[in-house]
Amino acid sequence: MSDFKYGDETISSREIMIALPAVTIGVGILSLPREIALLTVGADGWIALLVAGIMITVITWMTSKLAASYPGETFLSYSSKLVTKPVSILFSLILVMQSLLLSAYVIRVIAEIAKAYLFDRTPLEVISLTFLLVVVYAVSGSRAGLFRLNMLFFPIIVLITFILSLFSFGWFEMDNLFPIFETGVRDQIKATEISGLAFVGFNILFFYITLVKDTKKVPKASVHGMLMVIGLYLLIFFVNLGVFGNAVTGNLVYPLIELAKEIEIPGGFFERFDSFFFVIWIMAIFNTTAMSVDVSIYALQPFTKLKKQTLLFCMAPLIYIIGMVPEGSIEVAKLGTFIGYFGIISSSGITLILFTISKIRRGRKKEHAAK
Amino acid sequence: MGRNFFRRRKLKQESAEGEDFSTEIGVDLEKNLQDLQTMIGSPEDLVIHRLNLGFNVKAAVAFISGLSNKEAIHNDLIKNLLRNREKEAGSDTPDELIKQLKLDLISIGSVEQTNSLDKLTIDLLSGKSVVYVEGTAEALLMGTEKWETRSIDEPISESLIRGPREGFVENLQTNMMLIRRHIRDPNLRFDTSEVGRRSKKKLVVCYVDGIVNPDMVKEVDRRLSSIDMDSAMESGYIEQWIEDSYLSPFPQMDNTERPDKVASAVLQGKVSILLDGSPFALIAPITIANAFKSPEDYYDRWLIGTFLRVIRYIGAFITMFLPALYIALVSYHQGMIPSQLAFSIAATREGVPFPAFVEALIMGLTMELLREAGARLPRTIGQTIGIVGGLVIGEAAVSAGIVSPIMVIVVALTAVASFTIPLYSVAISFRLLRFGFMFAAAVLGLYGIVLVYIMINIHIVNLKSMGVPYSTPFAPSFIKDWKDLVLRGPIPMMNERPRNLKPKDTTSGNLRR
Repeated sequence: MSDFKYGDETISSREIMIALPAVTIGVGILSLPREIALLTVGADGWIALLVAGIMITVITWMTSKLAASYPGETFLSYSSKLVTKPVSILFSLILVMQSLLLSAYVIRVIAEIAKAYLFDRTPLEVISLTFLLVVVYAVSGSRAGLFRLNMLFFPIIVLITFILSLFSFGWFEMDNLFPIFETGVRDQIKATEISGLAFVGFNILFFYITLVKDTKKVPKASVHGMLMVIGLYLLIFFVNLGVFGNAVTGNLVYPLIELAKEIEIPGGFFERFDSFFFVIWIMAIFNTTAMSVDVSIYALQPFTKLKKQTLLFCMAPLIYIIGMVPEGSIEVAKLGTFIGYFGIISSSGITLILFTISKIRRGRKKEHAAK
Repeated sequence: MGRNFFRRRKLKQESAEGEDFSTEIGVDLEKNLQDLQTMIGSPEDLVIHRLNLGFNVKAAVAFISGLSNKEAIHNDLIKNLLRNREKEAGSDTPDELIKQLKLDLISIGSVEQTNSLDKLTIDLLSGKSVVYVEGTAEALLMGTEKWETRSIDEPISESLIRGPREGFVENLQTNMMLIRRHIRDPNLRFDTSEVGRRSKKKLVVCYVDGIVNPDMVKEVDRRLSSIDMDSAMESGYIEQWIEDSYLSPFPQMDNTERPDKVASAVLQGKVSILLDGSPFALIAPITIANAFKSPEDYYDRWLIGTFLRVIRYIGAFITMFLPALYIALVSYHQGMIPSQLAFSIAATREGVPFPAFVEALIMGLTMELLREAGARLPRTIGQTIGIVGGLVIGEAAVSAGIVSPIMVIVVALTAVASFTIPLYSVAISFRLLRFGFMFAAAVLGLYGIVLVYIMINIHIVNLKSMGVPYSTPFAPSFIKDWKDLVLRGPIPMMNERPRNLKPKDTTSGNLRR
């Protein structure tokens, strides 16, 4: 059925545009306002957040430009053209590891938060396991289906964020945002670094752009996707700081969820909006996990020659075990920071290396052609 | 399932094996009549009239009495045969005679010539009458079908406040007529085929050539040609044979009794399947959004149509989530309920010995029992059972302390909400899924509910109907189609056919003219 291609395994640039924020927005932003607030004075952290976001957006643009300039080629094939086969294998294994660690971390964090906000008696392991099983169910379906799930869930996430911000207005105090521009440069840089960690996830671009038909629109689409993330993060940050002020935000474990606890939804249907908010946010976290697991499966497939499902059933226990290793929330947080640094440094590094080499190659080719 | 699609249809009549008669028509009239009687077992309703066409040319007319129009056979067929006997029978050979008769008997309607006993028998059994002439191996088949049918009635399963009152009946010809009366386009196509090894029922694929995507028709035809079963009693058989996934709780085809719904569907670029003997037409492809659309949305003004749709979406959510939410809130997240309400719920649940899940399950099952009983009983008693039974059981259960009054509200609201969904088969799926949500809520509270919700979404994005993803036009998103989704745009603005069906002709109107 040639005319119903949109039902097949290809994706459009619009789906990439939604997939990026869907992957990036997950557990990171739940605690990000605290981490920024600890380092900065007043609401100064927005500068750090914006700078980090723009830097990541530029790198995202490079990544998608790079992948889009080799339409229809897999990461392995175009990167081995640029940096020999062994190096490209190393690169893709690093990217796979990043996704695997990210998904392991996320299934652990979701259990930690669920324990804090939803139930106290249900064991961590059960919460993580059920979540992972749903992720496995999603990944074992079609890849295009995952992108459709992003499209279905992302608007809900945006909507719930807007609702939260809207109802926070009653608690918003301008004074909480002051003083401005008091933070030292050193702290700002540190805050920028921390903010960058919340943008982990754009490594999916290396692999998924292969599936896109209209590659020319992809760089623009991915920039738009990243801008959505920055916009949403800034909104959340300001609302958080405006409602709680710097000192309180710095002491809350998950300021975003606490925000939902603080506000009151008119009508009195919910005594506590935080549980409800977190339940909706699970969809965002689900998107992050499902995409990360899928991208690692997708990237690993060429090495193993296994069927997607088989590989998935091999990887799932591994992810689960990694997720269960850290003991206590401090170790989990450490794992999160590690994954953040590892993810941002490795994906940015790989992008920069490949992008530079491809630019030089292209330049040389042009010179040759000119001669 | 996939393998069945490629299985070839068996063409040979298996009943013919082992009995001593030829499957060809011979020249001997008596032998032919004998063969016919042997073939169908000489039933009582087989009528055979022997005639003399003059000059000792013998002939016979055979028909099944209940399926044929006796008046036409007597007045037109037999009288014509006898009137012409002087003119023709003398000179010609029997072969030429039968050709001449074919031209003379035009007043009957359709006239066909055949020499195959198989075809002759099937046609005879579908109401045609047969004319044999001694000395020729050809027979004539006359279109004299007529049988008792139900008259056109208001569709019972889909009643509207505003809209045409006609519904399909069991007669295929009438149903085709009903569609034709809505669309007078010469491109309206009715592709006829036969279905069922033994039933040989007529099946019609209806679409508008030039609007529908040809691939869609090809796909439907490919799936239909794979059907191999004894008989299709109802269009539901066809639906279940050609659907994409038999494991899904969701129907992948729409069924309707309303000709106007079929007409608007084929004008959008969909394909409809009609089966003789079934008042339910199938429409494919459908998406999840179709579950919330009713013809009435378009008949009332757009604001009303939109409002009704929003109500239906809310209804679907209540149907699926409300009992589960009750369970989750009462047994896990008491803190989420406003304290006043929490106190009153706790007070009413004071004497209830069961956990919330068991309570909800009891009431949920009772509701389903009542509904099923109401559907089975004769209509007049059914209503009594529904209302009185519901009230009595609800009231008595509360005062006996088995369930809490708030549970009765939850169940009643769920029941009412489930009736708002226009597509009955989807409404049943939602009611079924509700139990899944209840289990999840009992085990993992709100967290379980959202996980099941995610799983249903995963299922929907992977499901297809005739190759069209079930989640279209939400995702893959066709933003132009969104003006007829939750919103129902004003009629002059809906001047494009749904893009997700990839119609050949995309515009259906022009606002600027």
